[in-house]
Amino acid sequence: MGITSFYFLCFFSIILLLYYIIPRKCQWGLLLLCSAAYYLVSGSGLLILYPIVSVTACYIGIRLLEAAPPELVRRRRAVLVGTVLVNIGILVVLKYVNFGIYTIDGIAALFGSRRPLIESVDFLVPLGVSFYTFSLLGYVIDVYYGIAAPQQNYLKLMLYGLYFPAVISGPILKYREHGEQFFEPHPFDYVRVTRGLQRMLWGFFKKLVIAERLGTMVDTVYGGYADYPGAFIWFATVCYAFQLYTDFSGCMDIVLGISESFGILLPENFRTPFLSRSVAEYWRRWHITLGVWMKEYVFYPVLRTRFFTDLNRRWKERFGRKRGKQYATFAAMFLLWLTVGIWHGGDWKFVIGSGLLHWFYIVMEELLAPPCARLMERWHINAGGRPVGVVRIVRTFFLVCIGDLFFRAASVGDAFAMLKGAVTVWNPHILWDGSLLGLGLDAGELVIAAGALLLLCGISLMQDRKGSVRELIAARALPIRWAVWYALIFAVILFGCYGPGYSAGEFIYQGF
Amino acid sequence: MSRDEVYERLNEVFRDVFDDESITVNDATTSDDIEDWDSLEHINLIAAVEQEFGIKFNMGQVVTMKNVGEMADIILAQTGA
Repeated sequence: MGITSFYFLCFFSIILLLYYIIPRKCQWGLLLLCSAAYYLVSGSGLLILYPIVSVTACYIGIRLLEAAPPELVRRRRAVLVGTVLVNIGILVVLKYVNFGIYTIDGIAALFGSRRPLIESVDFLVPLGVSFYTFSLLGYVIDVYYGIAAPQQNYLKLMLYGLYFPAVISGPILKYREHGEQFFEPHPFDYVRVTRGLQRMLWGFFKKLVIAERLGTMVDTVYGGYADYPGAFIWFATVCYAFQLYTDFSGCMDIVLGISESFGILLPENFRTPFLSRSVAEYWRRWHITLGVWMKEYVFYPVLRTRFFTDLNRRWKERFGRKRGKQYATFAAMFLLWLTVGIWHGGDWKFVIGSGLLHWFYIVMEELLAPPCARLMERWHINAGGRPVGVVRIVRTFFLVCIGDLFFRAASVGDAFAMLKGAVTVWNPHILWDGSLLGLGLDAGELVIAAGALLLLCGISLMQDRKGSVRELIAARALPIRWAVWYALIFAVILFGCYGPGYSAGEFIYQGF
Repeated sequence: MSRDEVYERLNEVFRDVFDDESITVNDATTSDDIEDWDSLEHINLIAAVEQEFGIKFNMGQVVTMKNVGEMADIILAQTGA
């Protein structure tokens, strides 16, 4: 049951009604029941046993940590390592066994092996396994550090792990900041509920009006890139960047909107990422909860290991204080970006497209920043001026698009073939001679997609400069407010891709 | 060690890590107040403070510290001053 389907809207409406009718102390119980029901009917069936095992392992871990005072360092560490291994073990077996098998078979093929050394294994992967595993593990680690209170109610921990909107595509939750909200009583608040519904509406617009249309053109080009060289590939890649953004952030708008209408405020995952002036900034504005998780539970602990502390010291002696520190950080960042890439999926296209390529970008940005600054000073260019800012935004977007090309291509080989096709054929005329009409959308559909994208860009600029657009609309007179929201409702109804015979694609990040 | 002495030494550490002699920190100073204090430099700063005061922050403190005032509190608690 996709969250853009009619059935889901019925399911949500019933839950929302019940949520504010039943006694408040039972609200979290209702959410738990609905989360389990959603998991069972979303095609996951018995796969619900996986999150149950993960939650149970974390619950046992938390209770053991609670029972072990801080002086028992070894015991506490053993409990933490055991809990992490169980959860990461499940994740690795379900998502990465074939990655290892394909890599071994690939290497064997390079050395002349004609048959695979190991046959791949097919596992059914439970919904949201990467998201709930990280949310739960972060909580256990926080309890170990003593910065989060241990949850003593098994069913409450189950709700935190299985919460149905967040299990679809995140956000990755942080119990110490958001966990307790699930269990607090939430009286009906008209403003909060309507704001949540408004946000859901904007998410539907992004997914059904923009992402689905762009996806049609992207699928055409990426599915037959040999027939669509040069500017077709550039065009489709830019479309994919916007498809990925509107799909993922649209899903987040729906998830955060649903939660807001329940009185639960989840963490934001996006902050107008395409307005970033560097790749490092882009990752502070794109999939924020993953970035924060990786920083707190991978990057910082790695940098504080004895190995990296020694490396830092040795490289400072060898390369000088500033350079040595920088190189040690780059080495730790390599592990971080490798983990980010692998998190996205067991395939080298993810490892490169959303991992190591971005590590390379950030390292180059750091290394090239001083000479670029000197060059701009010599040429009397105002580094803080608007023209330079626009150039940086365009440059960052271009670099991100190259990563997205790897992310979307069927394989790393295809990605390189597409890059070759993109730079060796010069055909910019296809952008205005009507060739784009052969990519699966007619002229009317293209105009709708372009208009919706313009609206998205306008809203993004407003968000970047003035904050919440919903707040701005709410401050307007009643007729204007209603006109805006009704226009959006009709835009989704009239221009959205849905209805009998059409099934909106799954959210891209739902596969993770 | 008094709080003033802690701040005197913290100022030196901050100036050294961020390569800026004009930095003066106080209880309310946060990463927003110092341009280069990002997540990468944060861990280098923590290591430098640990070395200066001969203490060890745990990871929970590293990720939840909200301002320099909290850092000074932890230093004072760990050095028993």
